[in-house]
Amino acid sequence: MNDRATLSKDEVRSLFEAYRAAGPGEQPALREQLVEQHIGLVEFLARRFRNRGEPLEDLVQVGTIGLLKAIERFDLEREVEFSTYATPTIVGELKRHFRDKGWAVRVPRRLQELHLELTKVVGHLGQDLGRSPTVPEIARSMGTAEETVLEGLEIAQAYNFTSLDAPIDTDDGGSTSFADQLGEDDEHLENLEYRASLAPEMAKLPDRERKILYLRFFKGLTQSEIAERLDISQMHVSRLLNRTLANLRHALEEE
Amino acid sequence: MDNISIRIPASPVYLQVVRLVAAGLATRLRFTLDDIEDLKIAVDEMSAYFTGTTGREGTIQVSFTVHEDRLEISGAGEFSSGEKVRTDLTEFSRMILDTVADSASLEHTNGTPTFKLVKSKAQ
Repeated sequence: MNDRATLSKDEVRSLFEAYRAAGPGEQPALREQLVEQHIGLVEFLARRFRNRGEPLEDLVQVGTIGLLKAIERFDLEREVEFSTYATPTIVGELKRHFRDKGWAVRVPRRLQELHLELTKVVGHLGQDLGRSPTVPEIARSMGTAEETVLEGLEIAQAYNFTSLDAPIDTDDGGSTSFADQLGEDDEHLENLEYRASLAPEMAKLPDRERKILYLRFFKGLTQSEIAERLDISQMHVSRLLNRTLANLRHALEEE
Repeated sequence: MDNISIRIPASPVYLQVVRLVAAGLATRLRFTLDDIEDLKIAVDEMSAYFTGTTGREGTIQVSFTVHEDRLEISGAGEFSSGEKVRTDLTEFSRMILDTVADSASLEHTNGTPTFKLVKSKAQ
């Protein structure tokens, strides 16, 4: 999948410099090279939306528009890799496509409410108890059946609560806020990235997802602990983690 | 100890059922939410070897054994000829499973691919 991405970080940078410096005559060819270089990223991101009833080829086209926008806006002064910069722009383009078509998955109201309530109760209980709560404890606190809690936990995975899940989507890029917070662990992340076949896939993950994966599987933090550290709900950590693992499984299987 | 078994088509669509059964039994054992979420990840990771990302021709028999302090889950795949299933865990799976389960293995017994998972209640 990544076979077209043949250039190193530095070579990509040089290509960008050449593109910026080029006259109108040479620009299209260089832009073509930049697109070719990153089309794997577009395909990877487009695949995340493929279960919504749109042909993958169309999604790749939509994503490529996002890629072109990112190429035009990328600021070489920024100390950030282009792929990191481009990801939210490409995802933003894909999401807009679905939003404009009105095809975003609608979550039934009952499930939305159940989900909100669960998120709240799990957070409160965790603080009160100083540990992760059990299902009976959650059910008692919500005044509902254990089955309802189990359903709520499972359903949360099935629906994409986009407003919560979306990669930080600033649209004009520059979504480095999470990357900025992560300085301390970058060294470990670097090592992690060199793990054989996993490396290119890991590298493509949004910063937050990669951070969660790292904290869970390399540092051994629990989901609750990660939730606290990143200041998001445990349910959200669970969802991001499950989705990331599913994406990685897909990507690795397709190799 | 009690045994519960279900048989599902080897498609990722039905893994939700397996996760729900696993979560339901873990609830009986008073697992914490963190442990239940880990258990679901383990079930997904193991089952993915049998279902692939798009499903296979065949079925998976999943058996749950409920002990006082732990849950054992085993799976056996029965596939049409021609369906190939990996018999060793990838390095990535190993890393995930070491974190979320007490033990996990993937084997081939008499031509049938099987997996086994054990998850204990937190102390």
